[in-house]
Amino acid sequence: MDSGTSETNSAATPAPGAVFFDGASNRRRAVALKLSDALEIREDGALLARWAFADIRRADSPFGLLRLSCLTAPSLARLEIRDAQLTAELVARCDALEADLPNRRGVAAIVGWSLAAAVSIVLVVLFGVPLAAERLTPLVPDSFERRLGDVAEAQVKVLFNGKPCSNAAGQAAFEKLVGKLRETAGFDNSVQSGVLATAVPNAFALPGGKVFLFDGLLAKAENPDEIAGVLAHELGHLRHRDSMRELIHNGGTSFLIGLLFGDITGSGALIFASRSLVTSSYSRDAETNADTFAIETMHKLGRPAKPMGELMFRVTGKEGGKGLSLVASHPLTEDRLARMDKADAAGPASGQPLLSPAEWQALKSICGSGKGKV
Amino acid sequence: MNDMSWTPLGPPQPPPQPVPPPMPVAFSGNRKEFFRLVARGAGLELVTLGFYRFWLTTDIRRHLWSNTQIDGDAPEYTGRGKELLIGFLVALAILVPIYLGYFLIGIEAEHLKAFASLPLVAFFYLFGQFAIYRARRYRLTRTVWRGVRFWMSGSGWIYALKASLWGVLVVITLGLALPWREAALERYKMRHSYYGDLQGSFEGRGWEFFKRGWWLWLLMPFALYSTIFAPFAYAAFKAIEWRWWLSGIRFGEVRLESTLRRSALIGLYWKVIGWVVLLGMVFAAYLVLCTFLVASMDGSSIATFFKTEAFAKSIPLIVLLGIGYLAYALAMNVVMRVYLMRDLWVRVLSSTIVHNIEAAANVTARGDLANALGEGFADGLDVGGF
Repeated sequence: MDSGTSETNSAATPAPGAVFFDGASNRRRAVALKLSDALEIREDGALLARWAFADIRRADSPFGLLRLSCLTAPSLARLEIRDAQLTAELVARCDALEADLPNRRGVAAIVGWSLAAAVSIVLVVLFGVPLAAERLTPLVPDSFERRLGDVAEAQVKVLFNGKPCSNAAGQAAFEKLVGKLRETAGFDNSVQSGVLATAVPNAFALPGGKVFLFDGLLAKAENPDEIAGVLAHELGHLRHRDSMRELIHNGGTSFLIGLLFGDITGSGALIFASRSLVTSSYSRDAETNADTFAIETMHKLGRPAKPMGELMFRVTGKEGGKGLSLVASHPLTEDRLARMDKADAAGPASGQPLLSPAEWQALKSICGSGKGKV
Repeated sequence: MNDMSWTPLGPPQPPPQPVPPPMPVAFSGNRKEFFRLVARGAGLELVTLGFYRFWLTTDIRRHLWSNTQIDGDAPEYTGRGKELLIGFLVALAILVPIYLGYFLIGIEAEHLKAFASLPLVAFFYLFGQFAIYRARRYRLTRTVWRGVRFWMSGSGWIYALKASLWGVLVVITLGLALPWREAALERYKMRHSYYGDLQGSFEGRGWEFFKRGWWLWLLMPFALYSTIFAPFAYAAFKAIEWRWWLSGIRFGEVRLESTLRRSALIGLYWKVIGWVVLLGMVFAAYLVLCTFLVASMDGSSIATFFKTEAFAKSIPLIVLLGIGYLAYALAMNVVMRVYLMRDLWVRVLSSTIVHNIEAAANVTARGDLANALGEGFADGLDVGGF
């Protein structure tokens, strides 16, 4: 058990016995060990340290070397043993040797807490974020929302490469249509609207009271009621401040889901997929509410709501049966159409047409060359 | 023990006689064991949705540190995963309000005019450099050799400022100033690094780095142009950088030297590329298989499946693709860690020689532990570096 006393400082060859570092200097001390009721570490007969077996812990070491530390010694004091028999004897006496090293129970705890964290994040995403969006949206000042809208408008125009259409007769017809809807729905004239020369059949609302219609949708429309319904739907989004709410909702959800997945995916496709699952269910509710608003507005004008559904149907086709509706951001078109049909059945359309045939033709050709597109 | 010949510290002494032979650094770790460690870690990362990364990083470092032998003794990594987790959480608590502020200021800046948001990018660059300094400080203070720890003084913010100003110079000179930037930053880092009471220093000169690597700077346009060429150029650059960096490191009278050849790392990078291609092909085959499978279950032909865009809405397909994507990401993680951490470490180490290790024979322990905030920032901001 005694170590060789001819240990030199340059220890390219391991010496039998033990080497001690006292934690105060890095001097290698060749020591003799004695296992009594505690571990006695002696250098040239002088007692350097006495370590109680229960306080001895294993430290990281290469294969074939036992490296020990002790709770009551200086934190970096180390004892290194290469002798296999001595190692076995010491290991047998030290009960808590591995107590501070990461072990199975530690890993189980990490897994357990991680899952708990994941569950709580999911719960916050499903319940907390919609609630926060609901409560925060009314608190956002109008001026801030308008600024957001300006930024978003600039981005949308770049994204869809769409120029605003301003054919004079068409613009007059469009303003007449929007004006009627606006007055009926009770908006002041701060609402900005326009038609963009883009072949995509779509329309949308932006924060701060902006409604945009794409020429692609105009090209597919067959009468003014169809377009009026769509615009009323977008005004519904404005009334409910849906884009602001959606912004808070999306921002919070992406942040939390990003937090959840950390670096494992490099914040890639998985985050996008799970986020779209969560946010689409939320946006379906918003769409249903906007539809309700559109139906009410159209009925106040004495016009049917169903044409809007028909236009939708023309654009999307039948949606049911193709995949699941879980990830769709809008309710199924046929369901929306059926709902509008049912709502119209209560009272026949009695109001005047919103636009004259001439005005309708002017609106259709507001983008000039846009007629032949799509 | 009494006739030992260590050099006492303090007043300069004549060099010890005879001069001890230069000491190569050895690595004794088992590659299979490392692979098992990383593969198991990747699996646990999946189960814990990524949270296990703090403990995996710690285990990897423990393995690499404790199997590296310098003068017959292996260092020890005393950091723990929990410290990294706490560092990450604290960094998060600081970064979240900053991100929110960034968002609000960004809107204002965009509103005013385009390049107004540039200072914000600079701010995050500064933060990233701070993270690099503090992360190295954490790692160094968790490194123990012969019962004495390394430690670091200095200021992360001064370093970040230096790094940013040098960064501007590198951009202005189209990368030519890079060697001098690295030399200046490393001088700052090493001047504030200690092993016990032994102060570090860095003797690498920017000019030496430039002399070895200037031709790479000339070749850069080709490397950017041709993808076949890029791995060669990058591997050569990294090898030159490693060799220059290691050869400049000093702790007191202890001197490191590296004999790493320029071509030493090329094989490693090509192996990684080979694995990326192979795994990519497997993933692609899996995609095609899943699509056919789901389409046939759906009862529609492949053509209509794609034409109606039903494939984008099919839940089983999305789930299958998600699983495949995760497996792909995890396999990539394992490949990166085995080749670019373990194998790279071994290759660089095997070229390293320690001169005059006797000068570190009787070092007095000093220095305190640093917290893991820098590691947390580095994780949160996704900056690499050492």
